[in-house]
Amino acid sequence: MTKHNCSRRSALRGIGVSIALPFLESWFLRKAVASPAEPARRLIYLYAPNGKLMKDWSPAARGPMSELPPLLRALEPWRKELRVISGLSLRPATPGNDGPGDHARAMATFLTGVRPRKTSGADVQAGVSIDQVAAAAVGNKTRLPSLELGCEGGKSAGICDNGYSCAYQTNLSWRSPQAPMPKEINPRVVFERLFGSGNDAATREAASKRDIEHRSILDFVAQDTRDVRKRLGRQDQVKLDEYLTSLREVEARIQRAQPVAAVGDQKVQKPIGIPSDFREHARQLIDLQVVAFQADLTRISTFVLGNDGSNRSYREVGVSEGHHDTSHHGNEAAKLEKLRRINLLHVEQLAYLLGKLASIREGEQTLLDRCLVVYGSGIRDGDRHDHDDLPILLAGAGSALPGRGEHLAYPVGTPLCNLHLTLLDWIGARNPRFGDSTGQLL
Amino acid sequence: MKRILVSSLSLAGVVCLVVAGKALYSRDHGQTPAVEAALPDPDLSLDVNGITGPESHKTHNPGNFQQQALPLLEHHCVRCHGRASPKGNVSLVFADETAAKAVPAVWTMVLQVIDSGQMPPPERPRPPEFELQPFRDWVRAVVAAAGSTGRPLRRLNRAEYNNTVHDLLGTTLRPADDFPADDSGEGFDNLAQVLSISPTHIEIYLSAADSLIENARTQPEMWRRLSTPPVQDFIPFVLRGAPPEKAEAVKGVQAGPQDADAVARAKEIDRAYYALQAFADRAYRRPITHQEMYRLMSFVDQALSSGEVVDVGLARAFKAVLVCPHFLFRMELGRPEKAKGNGWEDFELAARLSYFLWSTMPDEELFRVAANRELAHPAVLNAQIRRMLKDSRSHALAVNFAGQWLQIRALAEVTRDPALFPEFNDDLRSAMLQETEEFFEHVVRTDQSALDLLLGDFTFVNEKLARHYGITGVVGSEFCRVSLAGTARAGLLTHASILTVTAGATRTSPTKRGRWILDNVLGTPPMSPPPGVDTLAKKVEGKMTTRQRFELHRSRADCAACHARMDALGYGLEEFGSTGGWRQRDEDGLVDATGVLPDGVTFHGAKELRAELAKHPAEFVRCLTQKLLIYALGRPLTPADQGALDAIVQLAARQNYRFSSLVIALIRSRPFRELSPPLAGNP
Repeated sequence: MTKHNCSRRSALRGIGVSIALPFLESWFLRKAVASPAEPARRLIYLYAPNGKLMKDWSPAARGPMSELPPLLRALEPWRKELRVISGLSLRPATPGNDGPGDHARAMATFLTGVRPRKTSGADVQAGVSIDQVAAAAVGNKTRLPSLELGCEGGKSAGICDNGYSCAYQTNLSWRSPQAPMPKEINPRVVFERLFGSGNDAATREAASKRDIEHRSILDFVAQDTRDVRKRLGRQDQVKLDEYLTSLREVEARIQRAQPVAAVGDQKVQKPIGIPSDFREHARQLIDLQVVAFQADLTRISTFVLGNDGSNRSYREVGVSEGHHDTSHHGNEAAKLEKLRRINLLHVEQLAYLLGKLASIREGEQTLLDRCLVVYGSGIRDGDRHDHDDLPILLAGAGSALPGRGEHLAYPVGTPLCNLHLTLLDWIGARNPRFGDSTGQLL
Repeated sequence: MKRILVSSLSLAGVVCLVVAGKALYSRDHGQTPAVEAALPDPDLSLDVNGITGPESHKTHNPGNFQQQALPLLEHHCVRCHGRASPKGNVSLVFADETAAKAVPAVWTMVLQVIDSGQMPPPERPRPPEFELQPFRDWVRAVVAAAGSTGRPLRRLNRAEYNNTVHDLLGTTLRPADDFPADDSGEGFDNLAQVLSISPTHIEIYLSAADSLIENARTQPEMWRRLSTPPVQDFIPFVLRGAPPEKAEAVKGVQAGPQDADAVARAKEIDRAYYALQAFADRAYRRPITHQEMYRLMSFVDQALSSGEVVDVGLARAFKAVLVCPHFLFRMELGRPEKAKGNGWEDFELAARLSYFLWSTMPDEELFRVAANRELAHPAVLNAQIRRMLKDSRSHALAVNFAGQWLQIRALAEVTRDPALFPEFNDDLRSAMLQETEEFFEHVVRTDQSALDLLLGDFTFVNEKLARHYGITGVVGSEFCRVSLAGTARAGLLTHASILTVTAGATRTSPTKRGRWILDNVLGTPPMSPPPGVDTLAKKVEGKMTTRQRFELHRSRADCAACHARMDALGYGLEEFGSTGGWRQRDEDGLVDATGVLPDGVTFHGAKELRAELAKHPAEFVRCLTQKLLIYALGRPLTPADQGALDAIVQLAARQNYRFSSLVIALIRSRPFRELSPPLAGNP
């Protein structure tokens, strides 16, 4: 069970260690020379579980949106930056011959486009996710090739959706078909991964000493791993290779120079744990996410607001029943109202992220202009578990992509992977196909 | 006995000391280890051949499909499970024996549903025993021939990491609380294949090693123990492999006392060498080899040559050990089948025991018996198992095994509308969890019969939970044992924890409760709903009672087969509400707790349900053993494990399923003892 250590933002603000970004700038600049030819492009996927109330999500007509649908009202300041895309589908998430398990499949296919193997046991198999394909192409330019964040960790009990391993339902990002990238939910741990433990001079010096020490330790461990690998069976070698690959990647991270874009003078607080309040939790993570983009610590990110099938209760908005229970509303008015509040709360976090990104200047543009934010769910209507015509929304990218400020309607059944393919191209990792894609979108 | 201490390594001109005399441990192979009890040990008479299970079948003639299996299939099965649109999507028509043997998992399931009385369905006649027995033999032979998957390489999960660093360092830090959540499979979070490693893990292992060792350096007590370890931290002297050449060259060179500084320095290095050896031995859970020591000491060398003190290098080496795969994984490299084993298999067995029963590394005593190679003696092994079960560390079995087997960890995620369930708050939630853990731990540590888990008419409550149960006389937050004699409650089935996690948010769910019993008590989980079935709740029309709502499940033939089993069973617990409180009425009026077991027997309420379950104790024990075996092995079971599973249950039955007899039989079974998959050869 995860510990919830702190509750109030004000307390946190008082206690937290803070890092002023000008310092960060100099720290991460190190030997790197600033001014890359073109400011970096960034890509972030936000996942919202259990579908949406579609009648309040979808714009009435296609084309330019003069007003936003009820669920998206919080995004009004960025209306002209949005692209609401309808018709996109995740056919690999449909039951097919696999029977029930739509929540597991929704999450496992959202970024992979690959039907996951139905197993509750050891042999999980999904696909490489889009963010990891992007990270493999552009991740070597930053300290962290990708960042995986979320507001909900693993399940406490190991029983998940109808015979599917929990791995499918708790991981959005997959490095290989067998190896998920676990997400980090503790803001303090995220802070430490990004910035080390503090900001005083001694800590900073210690940080660079520690990097040297870590490299010598990793050298040692890699040698030991190679030695023992020869003595293991084939199946175990695969497991150890997972370890060895990860070792190498961390070695490379430590060695990598840090080209840093210009950053403002705002402060990032060192959080002290996982806030029990959802809003506070999401915002602390978003703050860190934005700084990670700003300081060019990473360019690729996934952010899970909740695992699909999540039954979290959102007392922040007066819903004490679980989200999943509520999503099976059976058109009961009371449940619909509760579900609406949860949907709004999730969209509100997107608004917070967009606001943060838009507030940061990068040369002539804002960080939001350099960023593509994808928000959506792998299920359309939580009461029906369908995977066609999903709620998908794009923000950012300035004028680099067409359809700004519009509702783009595609024929129902157009693979979501077509969008992924377009975004891969945009980020600089052009691929001929991805998942069940049939071509690029936009 | 003399020990030669090799320490100089790459430091030019530094000496190597020969320390004469006292060995840290003495070993005497001739001596029979003492057996703790004077009474004869019933588990010593275990039929080990029986335990090794399928192997005994392997020697049998695999049998004849035509004669042993086909008659039964034709008379009793293929009418529904034929070639065209078979029921439950299970077809039992095969082209020939080869085709039939290709699907051992199907046969395991077939035998299970026949033996549990689910099949043939009640309206059809049951196969006579003279057909059943040859059929069973044939299935078992097929299943045994399918082979198993050994012991895959498993990394420590979060609970194991925390416990291990606690025992290794004496720290109170719990770094793994910050690690990414471990994924689970088969209901458990310790499955080798599912415990993956990502770059995030490496980063977090590095930073955990930093904080653990840096914290240790600030605590004089802890650092003293690590840098000048006491005798009991040394694993007794066993084969450490060939010493590296470089050291070989200086081995035996007497210390030529050139100057006081050099001698002091040599002593310091020597201290570091032994501290590191003791630490790595315990961290790797087996003796570190000379080769490995040689490499580890380079951290000390480098520290010295860059003008740092020995302890700086030592700390760095400790950190390296904590990031090493030998520490993070349960590495099993012992190969006794080789003409000359490396002596590690005893240590590996010790670690299997400790991680199974304690979720942590072996303690001093276990290391000692492993080093003395005494675990091969059944009496010593049994005595160690009993000691470990009695020890307070077997609490880990309650938390990590029972917590997941019974699915009560899900309590953390349960939500209830406070308007409907004002009694449900975090105090009650944690009391529910603790009741079940205490109850399970009691059965384990006092070596009760495993059947007490199902039937024991006692439990552990604090004031909060006692009130919830309507038990008077318990005051305060401490848990105490109370008798349940004369109440409707007894055993796990009426624990509020289980009744709560198997209820819906607003009302009870006979389906979930029935399914829970099938999964976790009877070991006959229902099939997944077939493709194309809409599992979403049917629209409720008008005002319907809970029973009427659930009867909707049976209105469709494809749902009815499984729901008849799940729902009918779950009704039997209707006297307990959504948070496990006793009730005679629900929102629909008087509760009707009449249920039906899969074999068609009707019962009324939890008490009669227990009485019925108690008539077939082996079913429950087999289910428990199956879960325990998955947890112990860290892998899903295969059909080839079924024979061993049967044997364990049979052996435990001889001692009325005393918990220790179950665990001893399990630990001595082939699946628990067998090695990791064979060497891959040269890749």
